[in-house]
Amino acid sequence: MSAIKRLSGPSRIDPFLVPFRHYPAAIAGLVGICVFTLAAILAPLIAPQNPFDQGQLDIMNGLLPPMSEMMDGSVSLLGTDAVGRDILSAVLYGMRTSLLVAIVAVSIGMVVGVVLGLVAVMRGGWVDAVIMRAVDLTVSFPGVLLALMLLAVFGSGVDKVILALAIGIWAQNARMVRAVGLSEMKKDYIAAARIGGLGDLRIMFHFLLPNAISPVLVLMPMAISGAIVAEATLSFLGVGVPITEPSLGLLISNGNDYLLSGRWWISVVPGLVLVLMVLSINVVADRLRDHANPYLQARG
Amino acid sequence: MLLTIDRLSIAYELADGRELEAIKDFSLTLERGRIAGIVGQSGAGKSTIGKAVLGLLGENARISGGRILLEGEDIAGFSERQFGAIRGKRVGYIYQNPMTALNPVLSIGEQLIETIETHTDKRGTAARSYAVELLTGAEVSHPEERLTKYPHQLSGGLCQRIVFAIAIAAQPDLIIADEPTTALDVTVQKAVLGTLKRLAAQENIAIVLITHDMGVVSQMCDEVYVLLRGQLVERGPTMQIITAPQERYTQELMAAIPSVEQRRARFDVLDAFEETPGRQRGIDYLRAGTVALAHGDTMLAISNLSKTFTGEKGGAGFKALDSVGFAVRRGETFGIVGESGSGKSTIGRAILGLVHPDPGAIIALDGHPIGQENRQALSRKLQCIFQDPYASLNPRMDAGTNITYGIRAAGLVPRKHAQRLAEDLLEVVGLPRAAATKMPHAFSGGERQRIGIARALAYRPGLIFCDEPTSALDVTVQAEILNLMKELQDSLGLTLVFVSHDLAVVRQMCDSVIVMRAGRIVEEGPAEQVLTEPADPYTRQLLSAMPRFLRSAAAS
Repeated sequence: MSAIKRLSGPSRIDPFLVPFRHYPAAIAGLVGICVFTLAAILAPLIAPQNPFDQGQLDIMNGLLPPMSEMMDGSVSLLGTDAVGRDILSAVLYGMRTSLLVAIVAVSIGMVVGVVLGLVAVMRGGWVDAVIMRAVDLTVSFPGVLLALMLLAVFGSGVDKVILALAIGIWAQNARMVRAVGLSEMKKDYIAAARIGGLGDLRIMFHFLLPNAISPVLVLMPMAISGAIVAEATLSFLGVGVPITEPSLGLLISNGNDYLLSGRWWISVVPGLVLVLMVLSINVVADRLRDHANPYLQARG
Repeated sequence: MLLTIDRLSIAYELADGRELEAIKDFSLTLERGRIAGIVGQSGAGKSTIGKAVLGLLGENARISGGRILLEGEDIAGFSERQFGAIRGKRVGYIYQNPMTALNPVLSIGEQLIETIETHTDKRGTAARSYAVELLTGAEVSHPEERLTKYPHQLSGGLCQRIVFAIAIAAQPDLIIADEPTTALDVTVQKAVLGTLKRLAAQENIAIVLITHDMGVVSQMCDEVYVLLRGQLVERGPTMQIITAPQERYTQELMAAIPSVEQRRARFDVLDAFEETPGRQRGIDYLRAGTVALAHGDTMLAISNLSKTFTGEKGGAGFKALDSVGFAVRRGETFGIVGESGSGKSTIGRAILGLVHPDPGAIIALDGHPIGQENRQALSRKLQCIFQDPYASLNPRMDAGTNITYGIRAAGLVPRKHAQRLAEDLLEVVGLPRAAATKMPHAFSGGERQRIGIARALAYRPGLIFCDEPTSALDVTVQAEILNLMKELQDSLGLTLVFVSHDLAVVRQMCDSVIVMRAGRIVEEGPAEQVLTEPADPYTRQLLSAMPRFLRSAAAS
């Protein structure tokens, strides 16, 4: 309470935090993102065991419910799976893979999409037509279906999953940048740059890009949470990341067979973490989007 | 008394929780059938008063004091519901831009008849014939036919007449007209205002006319209220305010209005130039680039310039320019006047290489034809000052970078000197050095226009194309900018091509002038001659449509 009170006062606030004033849910989301990200980064340090080091696994610890004592006397907070792997450790490592795949895929998709969108704006004509038809083609497939088809061609692997997701993501960004860029292009400051004899590349990256990129940046968290869910879906279906680097989706799928035999924790724990992670990001993303769009701002 | 505003104060709540008093102790009285003008610069709070009377203040604004009496009833504290009952019925309103005031997806007839059925007991054919009657009253030609049309199919002037018809449909006692003709051409403006005045007199409607244009005030108003930063500076009968203003601010406002009758060396507004070493350095930089060539030689020669915009899918093209030709002499200010759509801006865009003219056109600068290939070199000879100061600066670069980015890229100034040069040039155009590190949004329209001028100057061009450089600015700011341009021209020997729809501004600035109509030159010659003894009927029409007033007393 006191923290919120301090944030809402007229005192100086970190400009980054301004959008979150008066929005406890968004603050909770922000805290959630920090916790999950930190946990994922620090997984090797804080996880009780390395869940993928076969030497540390003992089949005797298999299928223990949460809070059970393991063979070596330590307590497994969230239970173990069939091969005796500590679920907490597996989830920490799984988050790492999930976040990494999503962030890298979105970054690639964003850079490619923004550049192609800007090229479409600058060049116009047939270049614009070709790029935008490619966008239309890409977005006419449901994201997961497109990734499934691509993975069928590429084969599996973390890099392949990233590529497959990025191909679904670039198109939305290209379309968004093009829409904003076209309206910026008509403004006089671009004409001034042209009259000043500036080259296309300078105009593209120093004039158009900074003025057209905000919607892409605002929607980036939403894209990341979307990518996390898409990756989880692919891994659950068994076409995603390899078994040696399991993500949350793969962990959920691992426990799937045991759900009906009462060993719920193997699936439910990674599932819950996935939900909380995506929820945190979405709450924050929603707030950022509303903050960027003054028409949606709460009145009063 | 129909409307009495008594010591009205309005406060806006700012984002950081503080309150800004936008209107302070404003009082006004208005009787039936009279027209009161509220004048002032942008940001003075004119529109806020109009919105308060209509109950249309935003939710972040509140009436912090005073009363608004409509026929003795205080409406200041009315609820949204109560306002709904008087809005449109007892108080009509007319907005600045008729194109956005009308609903684009409904036909004129639907919109008119909807209003009629909401506010009167006329239905069906009765409503329809009343609609035709209203349109006839608003001097809309072919009223029957217009009912089936959509707003985008009609001109701005016609749309505004239709807005008038809608506003008077319920026979209100009062109309709030917020800059009703600012978006219209001068010849249309005069006729539309005439209609509004006649309608008001005929229906005994009172009007609160909000405007920045003293010409409109002198044509329309019985009484004038001069507003400065939310406070009433002076009120009085129109003639008295115009010819014998008492307050200093009103006097300045009057002095800043350009006259088409006589040319003055400078406007009587304060210019804040300090002769600092930085400013001198800036001027020296600019002078060093101007090659000393004899004044009077032909600098820019244009002949056979045509531009056809092709229609959709092989449809008939639209000829924006038709065989235009003229010559600009070195050191002069060359005016291009005309109404919107006359092609005056297209000439500039063709010269600047932003549109490709039809084949056969010759545009020569200093005797060399301008081609697309020598863009870089051309940028040092030819620059532009734009109309809209809010769109002409890169919003993501600070003022200094906006000024020097281009010349740095062209290698005209080394990186390490760019900052100092930007600051020097800011001083040349009358801004403080510290402005260099501020972002464009921190500046007012006039200040942005100064930055735009500095950016154009930085290239040290011989010729600057000015595309309505002051039409988006307040009249006193306009006077400052025009003074600045005259000053720079005197000290740097610049050649200016000055595009404007405002004949008075052209008279103040230009040596010679061409008058454009529908892509053709209808008249050309020395500004003095064209604007005092026009030979062409169209020029005469333009001149007679200029809102003007006796200013001999004001000038003394």
